Amino acid sequence: MNASTHTALAHTALEQELAQLVIDTLNLEDLTAADIPPRQPLFGDGLGLDSVDALELALALQKRYGISIASDDKDARRHFASVASLAAFVASQQAACAN
Amino acid sequence: MSEAQLATRQHWSAQRERGSLLLMRFTAFAARRCGRRLLSPLLHVIVLYFFLTGRRARRSIREFYEHLATSSGRAGLRPTPRRVFAQFMAFADCLLDRLDVWRGALRLEQVRLLDPDGLRAQLLASHRGGRGQLLVGTHLGNLDVCRALAELGEQVPLNVLVHTHHVAHLNRLLGEAGEQRMRLIQVSELDAALMLDLSQRLERGEWLAMAGDRVPLHDGRRATVDFLGRPAPFAQGPWLLAGLLGCPVNLMCCLKIAGRYEIRLERFLDAPAWERGQRDATIAGWAQRYADRLAQWCLLAPQQWFNFYPYWDASDA
Repeated sequence: MNASTHTALAHTALEQELAQLVIDTLNLEDLTAADIPPRQPLFGDGLGLDSVDALELALALQKRYGISIASDDKDARRHFASVASLAAFVASQQAACAN
Repeated sequence: MSEAQLATRQHWSAQRERGSLLLMRFTAFAARRCGRRLLSPLLHVIVLYFFLTGRRARRSIREFYEHLATSSGRAGLRPTPRRVFAQFMAFADCLLDRLDVWRGALRLEQVRLLDPDGLRAQLLASHRGGRGQLLVGTHLGNLDVCRALAELGEQVPLNVLVHTHHVAHLNRLLGEAGEQRMRLIQVSELDAALMLDLSQRLERGEWLAMAGDRVPLHDGRRATVDFLGRPAPFAQGPWLLAGLLGCPVNLMCCLKIAGRYEIRLERFLDAPAWERGQRDATIAGWAQRYADRLAQWCLLAPQQWFNFYPYWDASDA
């Protein structure tokens, strides 16, 4: 894993939580949250997740945060790009629900 | 024609239901008016027409019997023209039964339930707050007796996941027959929204049903398994879904044995899950186990194998 090539920004609390969620959901037992920098791509060259992993993550997000992704949501791919984009998505959904 | 085009053309979903909606309506009407016994000569003529014009269907049934005979070591199962014709007749009989099922003429008491794992009790329990489960059916026998199963569950909603455009036809017929409890959900590809929807349905105590023995055309997720001694592509979909949703998986099969329907229900997986990096291997293992069970069921009622299209890998001649 070439985490060192990515900007090693510190996690926010939500990002930390989401990185852990990714690890727990996908049984990435040999990793810790610190091994998944916020901006590292989760799919393809980054963490190497695939489309089925994305489905598992979507289910886990729904269970934990009660957020769902509409079928016509063309942004879904963008939301799942990295831990940082996931955090932004979760935060925006929570804000939307609070209103 | 390219290989891909050929594969597309040979795929079961490309097979138009040859005039079947009109014909089924007519036959249903005739069956209601005249009774099935009187209809029998006419039915023979109709079936003979489909038999004579359906060269590919004939060939695929012959192939089925060849593999069945070889893999089981029962030479008596070798294909004969009479046996292949009987397959078409059995299918016509099945269609008439389906119509009976839809208009409620096939009563629950007429169906025998073989349920060694006590799944009916679990179906009933999901009515009182239990989580739903997955039922994997087959085109061996009469899938539509699922409908009777929904009745078994006394109003436990059953969502049937289907791949094709045939849905429109079936929904129309279901609607005309006043069927409400069963819902058809068209699944072309697994996406996040669909997964969430299915997951929520399970939480509400609804059950999901899908066929395990047909490969969707546009979904590359297949596992090649040994079926009746030959490599055949099987869908990964049901097993993928099971692992993602983490719900118990049951097999379901409804065969007409000596003129009476028998629904077989059995537990297949209690808590499907895969280890990291082992997903494909795990799913291939489940698909193989399913194919093995299906092969055993085929021997119970070979005449009710209703996959009338090339089933095995064409490359394995």
